[in-house]
Amino acid sequence: METPRLSPQTLRVLERFVERPTAWRYGYELSRDTGLKSGTLYPILMRLAKHSLLETKWVTTEDGVPPRHTYRLTTKGIKEVRKALAQACSGRKVRQLALSGSGA
Amino acid sequence: MPKEYARRIGSLLLSSAVWIAPQETFEWGQAMLSEVSYVEGEWAALIWAIGGARVLAKHALLSMFIQGRRKWNVPFSEEFFAKEVPMRKTTLAAVGACAVASLLFFLAPAFRQAFQVSLAPWYTVIHVKPWSQQPNLELKVLTRRAEYNHDAEGLAFVAVRHWDAGESARLAQDAVHLNPELIWVYAVVAVGHPELSQIDQWVSKLEQWDPHNAVPHLLTAESIDIRQVIRGEVLQRTDLESRAWQDAMSAAFHSPRLDNYYDRLKELDRRVLKRYSLRDPYQAIGCSYCLPSFTASDSSRYAQSILESGEFLEAHGDRKGAFEKYWTVVHFGQMIGSAGGFMVNRELQKAYTRIGALSEKEGKHQQAQLCAYLSSKVDQEKEKELNSLRSRFNGDDVARSNALLVRTSALSMLFFAGLLVISGLAYVVRVWSHRLNALRANTPSVAFGFGGAIGLLLSSVLLYVSYRPYDEILQRYIHTGDDDRIPELSEFLAHMQIPLGAENFKQLPDFVFYFWAWAIVLCMVALLLAVVLYLRSRPRTSATT
Repeated sequence: METPRLSPQTLRVLERFVERPTAWRYGYELSRDTGLKSGTLYPILMRLAKHSLLETKWVTTEDGVPPRHTYRLTTKGIKEVRKALAQACSGRKVRQLALSGSGA
Repeated sequence: MPKEYARRIGSLLLSSAVWIAPQETFEWGQAMLSEVSYVEGEWAALIWAIGGARVLAKHALLSMFIQGRRKWNVPFSEEFFAKEVPMRKTTLAAVGACAVASLLFFLAPAFRQAFQVSLAPWYTVIHVKPWSQQPNLELKVLTRRAEYNHDAEGLAFVAVRHWDAGESARLAQDAVHLNPELIWVYAVVAVGHPELSQIDQWVSKLEQWDPHNAVPHLLTAESIDIRQVIRGEVLQRTDLESRAWQDAMSAAFHSPRLDNYYDRLKELDRRVLKRYSLRDPYQAIGCSYCLPSFTASDSSRYAQSILESGEFLEAHGDRKGAFEKYWTVVHFGQMIGSAGGFMVNRELQKAYTRIGALSEKEGKHQQAQLCAYLSSKVDQEKEKELNSLRSRFNGDDVARSNALLVRTSALSMLFFAGLLVISGLAYVVRVWSHRLNALRANTPSVAFGFGGAIGLLLSSVLLYVSYRPYDEILQRYIHTGDDDRIPELSEFLAHMQIPLGAENFKQLPDFVFYFWAWAIVLCMVALLLAVVLYLRSRPRTSATT
């Protein structure tokens, strides 16, 4: 299965995951860190999970409080995302060079 | 709303969204719902819930059109987020049913007529030609059938409606040749085309056939008038009317009766409409457009000259001669009546006033009172006529809004049909296959296709429903001769002749110009967009190489 299209919002989410690849993250936490609203964040998470880049699980924190859905990158996800982020970064650099004119 | 309720309302909203969302998204819905409790701030929690609910609602809506996996045994569908998904068969069936239902409307003659009538005014815009010159297929077919069947009435029907003077004259002559009783058709054709060279010949025949009628004389006068205009003698004619014109008008004013053949024409129309099952309302009530206001300006001018000569005689003490002159005008005014009489109302009223004054002088008080009464009656008639003209000019709101509805529905039908066809072609082209199972579509295509089908059906229903009452009026007229509501139909048709969007233009050619200007601009913008999209999507050489 192909890697999903990496929109700037998706890249922002992935960058947060890559910071601590093995850590489980909550939806609200990701929303706060990336500045994305729930309506934007969750379709991205759903798409990443569909492509097996993300694994999900329910965790119970304390009694009387609803369990939370948490997310972290899969091994395949870490590889793919690093590759994708590297490509995105090089693309950004090329663009920056082209814009500044120092590449000539 | 109190702040403390915001989070609760948000949870409630999101719970509802989870409930309506497809099973595949249940887990994600629950995930968003559970996070509501952890969001900092009441309003922020509400906004979080609204965002989540929006996502779930969107998926719920899409699941109506796009086939997902079986609901109950798969927790989450990959296909849901795929760019292309198989069409749900029910969606395809619904689209097909809507399209077929819309096409079935075309089986109803009233619907076909409504569609044709609504698109007729666009002929002027598309062909940049006057609407009246559009080739009427129904009329052409009727001409051929009538000629083949040697049907004199059919030929006469077309003759009085044809916009081309030469063709109209030919058909009228053929009709009269087949049935000499239809000679009166010459009068109607002559009124429609006063420039015809055959009129003199026709008038002499009409005079022989109907010697007491004023109409042939009025036609002669009109024909003389038109020739003067054509020869450019119009400026001199008021100074000295030609002898022939004077004679013709005098004969008309002294004729015992005036028959404009409206009743004969109406009966002939109804017979032909029934015989050939014609439904075109413009043709069906076309005779009311052809009806003459019988050379109104000629009549008025001649009546005025008679009144002047009466006043001259009166001034010279010839009361008897003056009476005769005034009575001639009264006789003609009463005779012409509804066939355009309101145009000589002023002269008629003046004649009554003069007769009244003369009667008073001669001590005939009863006659004077009668004249005063008749004069006031003319006033009332004039007011009534003016009101009717005013309302006709201003237009009837019901007819206007119905015409707007019918024109909009027909254009919407075309728009939605186009949308449906384009969506259908897009499906087929994408997979290069006609097999239903292979049909795959992206979400916009499905939405456009479904929207197009629903829109097409609704537009068809609206077109049929809004035109139906006018078809009933027409059918009643054709089958029973009841023309009480024909003015309503005429009013409606008058509004229907204006293409949608052209209402605010003083002249139709202006609208035609702007229409084409906009069409060209939009085409250029579309072309530009296509070029930009192509340039953006073509493969590029790597910047690093």
